[in-house]
Amino acid sequence: MTNQLREVLKAAALLVVVLSLTATTALAQTTEVPRDWDGNPDLNGVWQTIGTAHWDLEDHPSGSGHPDLGAIGAIPPGQGVVEGGDIPYRPEARQQKQDNFANRMTNDPEAKCFMPGVPRATYLPYPFQIIQGNQKIQIVYGFAEANRTIHMDKDNPEPPPIDSWMGRSHGRWDGDTLVVDAQGFIGEAWFDRAGNYASAALRVEERYTLTGRNAIMYEATITDDTVFTRPWKISMPLYRRLEENARVLEFKCVEYSEDLLYGHLRREPTR
Amino acid sequence: MKRTTSRATVALVTLGLLATTRDIVLETAAADADYHHVHITSFAPPVSVRWYTEHLDCQPIADRDDAADCQGVEVTFVPQPTSGGTQGTGVNHIGFSYADLTAKMAELEAVGSRGSGVRLQRFEDGSTLREAPGLFKYGFIFDPWGTRIELVEDSEYLGFHHIHLSSTDPEATLAWYQDVFGGETASMRGRLEGLLYGDIWLLASQHLEGVPAPTEGRAIDHLGFVVDNLDNAANDMRRTGVEFQQEPRVPENARTSSKRAFIYGPDNVRLAVVEPGFAGVETDRGTETATDTGPYDSPQTPWGEPDIQGIWTGNAAHGIPLERPLDLVDVENLTADQAAARREGGTLGSIWGYEREWRDTTLGYDKNAPSTQVAMIIDPPDGRLPEMTATGKRTAEAAARARALYTENRSAGPEDLTPYVRCITRGLPGMMMPSIYNNGLQITQGPGFVAIQKEMIHETRVIPTEERTPLGDKLKMYLGDPQGHWEGNSLVVETKNFNGKTNYRGSGADMTLTERFTRTAENRLEYQFTVNDQTIWTQPWTGVFTFNLDNDQYDLVEYACHEGNYGMFNILSGARALDKERAEGPR
Repeated sequence: MTNQLREVLKAAALLVVVLSLTATTALAQTTEVPRDWDGNPDLNGVWQTIGTAHWDLEDHPSGSGHPDLGAIGAIPPGQGVVEGGDIPYRPEARQQKQDNFANRMTNDPEAKCFMPGVPRATYLPYPFQIIQGNQKIQIVYGFAEANRTIHMDKDNPEPPPIDSWMGRSHGRWDGDTLVVDAQGFIGEAWFDRAGNYASAALRVEERYTLTGRNAIMYEATITDDTVFTRPWKISMPLYRRLEENARVLEFKCVEYSEDLLYGHLRREPTR
Repeated sequence: MKRTTSRATVALVTLGLLATTRDIVLETAAADADYHHVHITSFAPPVSVRWYTEHLDCQPIADRDDAADCQGVEVTFVPQPTSGGTQGTGVNHIGFSYADLTAKMAELEAVGSRGSGVRLQRFEDGSTLREAPGLFKYGFIFDPWGTRIELVEDSEYLGFHHIHLSSTDPEATLAWYQDVFGGETASMRGRLEGLLYGDIWLLASQHLEGVPAPTEGRAIDHLGFVVDNLDNAANDMRRTGVEFQQEPRVPENARTSSKRAFIYGPDNVRLAVVEPGFAGVETDRGTETATDTGPYDSPQTPWGEPDIQGIWTGNAAHGIPLERPLDLVDVENLTADQAAARREGGTLGSIWGYEREWRDTTLGYDKNAPSTQVAMIIDPPDGRLPEMTATGKRTAEAAARARALYTENRSAGPEDLTPYVRCITRGLPGMMMPSIYNNGLQITQGPGFVAIQKEMIHETRVIPTEERTPLGDKLKMYLGDPQGHWEGNSLVVETKNFNGKTNYRGSGADMTLTERFTRTAENRLEYQFTVNDQTIWTQPWTGVFTFNLDNDQYDLVEYACHEGNYGMFNILSGARALDKERAEGPR
């Protein structure tokens, strides 16, 4: 027997032991994931996506950015995260998306340091922290001071008190998956830097499923009858930031948006 | 049953080992809703709740150990000294109605007077029930605190049934009540004249011996009437010569935010007139001084840390100045009226303040009585900021010059405006301070972390409670680098690495901020903050105020400050217009 084979067998034997142990304690648990005090998956931690969803949710080739920034500002190519490939826009809405892209340098809410909305906050290229309490779950994002409260403690989801950038979120556990219903959006947020967008009729159902200690499979189903012909879904992994000192640093980007927004009103105009 | 639509409150009050006093509140005709409540004195409210639940078929109320729901009428028991039962006063008894009084009385007779049981009043022939010709069966019992209770069999009005006054001139007395409080003249089965408030009868009989004793201090201390607008009602009452024992105000340390006044009705009956504070919602407010009830045993999270989670507001604390006003050097606490006026001036008095009704209802401002605390600073003991260093004074002068650019509309660009105006941050400890609106503070905990979200501007601090490597010197931020730990039930947070772009009363980048969050009662979170910035001040200084819990009603709204900052466009375009005018001279 080769050493390699011996190692494989040893590993297989270990696996059998582990499986038999878990089978007796928790039949429903197919994957070993960290769990919190009440047995639900423990999502506490600092997480971040890797990819180009924040550039464009759909398949996209590379493209040019702001000429002053050279290659730094260029759009990197990326594979889409939309199930089935394309976002099912209504024809008139697709035109709006194209207009958004054409005017993205000044109109993208991200450029203005506006709150990114849902699901965009999830896959912006910044870490975010989940604080999983026994009443509510707080998500603190690394951009524009955006944050969300996922109300786990409301038996009957209440209508959103007002329309907002981040919406109102109610959560529940579906087995080992945290399911969040988010609605009550203001209708001005975009989904990415490509100008993909939704209206105030947007409703997002998110599913957070731990696939192990260090990854969450994130799925978001997007429903907005005024912009899309049918609901559509994106999915991507969220990775745990493993650095020992990982944290969400304060990034108050307002001051970096002020020239864009108010430069023409300076005594010495910059725009 | 008509009672199902009515909301009435009966409150029983107790203190020490003394007996029961209560006040009964009816609504006025002007209010035209059927809202009533009764306060009753009892030495142990939970015992009284049990008694009224067991013997008069009232229901306990969730989360309240001082109140019972008596067939739609809320009965609240409040600790208060009493000096005797109801008989002999101008309020002889209250009445409850049962469909089968014979069965009810048999049940009560079986209980007897064992322990804090039921005392029955027997008629001369030893019976407990009689038939009032043309009316119904009736009998009397007493509660353990001296309240005489008539039980009747009136199928038309079941449950809490009536209040029976004892008067030297019953007809004039009922006329007085109708004049002052409204109420509908009605005849009970054509036999007994009275007033109906909703579906509760107010009846009056001839007082037999002399003049009724004052109700004040007795088992039923007073009756209460609810009005929509107490100030208007009080003006009307003054015009008709009503004597006020206490002018309208929100009582200090009251259980509810209701504004109330006390007046005297005929026959020495003390009457409360109440304006519901917040859409009729009553909320426990706790006491003003956190320490007067001894140490509070804080709840724990499931993972074993003190639990300070919830939605808190700084509404009660709004208006407390940081420094002790010089004219209040020897004042320990403001009066409730002074406190109310101070806060009112700080909210409605400001052009920034929201409209009153929205403030009081949506924000629930009135649910928390304004704090009577004179000032926030407790150290130095004189309540004043310590002396500044030479650097501190120079910095303060520069800050004043910068502010003038704003106040004189000369801002060259956004940088001349404060980070608050720019919707960046209020800094620390500024962001924790009570503001004129959007005072919500939501705390969520996970193992090892406390997230503190402030509604104003929308900022969230994530504080680790387990030690972590602090940030290096090059990494400075508006809200700094916090490190928390638990000391007993207190969350202690030390924050450094400020970028110095904000200042609180002069504080700068060298500040170390130490905060203590201590839950001193179920609904109170004491917040103590110590500013140590030796570049600016010659010594550290400490302030304190309290947040109040409002989980039931308050939800933080998203304060999308920057996203809707039209003020920036207006301020800067105004400054440019003035630039032009200054350059060209006035036309």
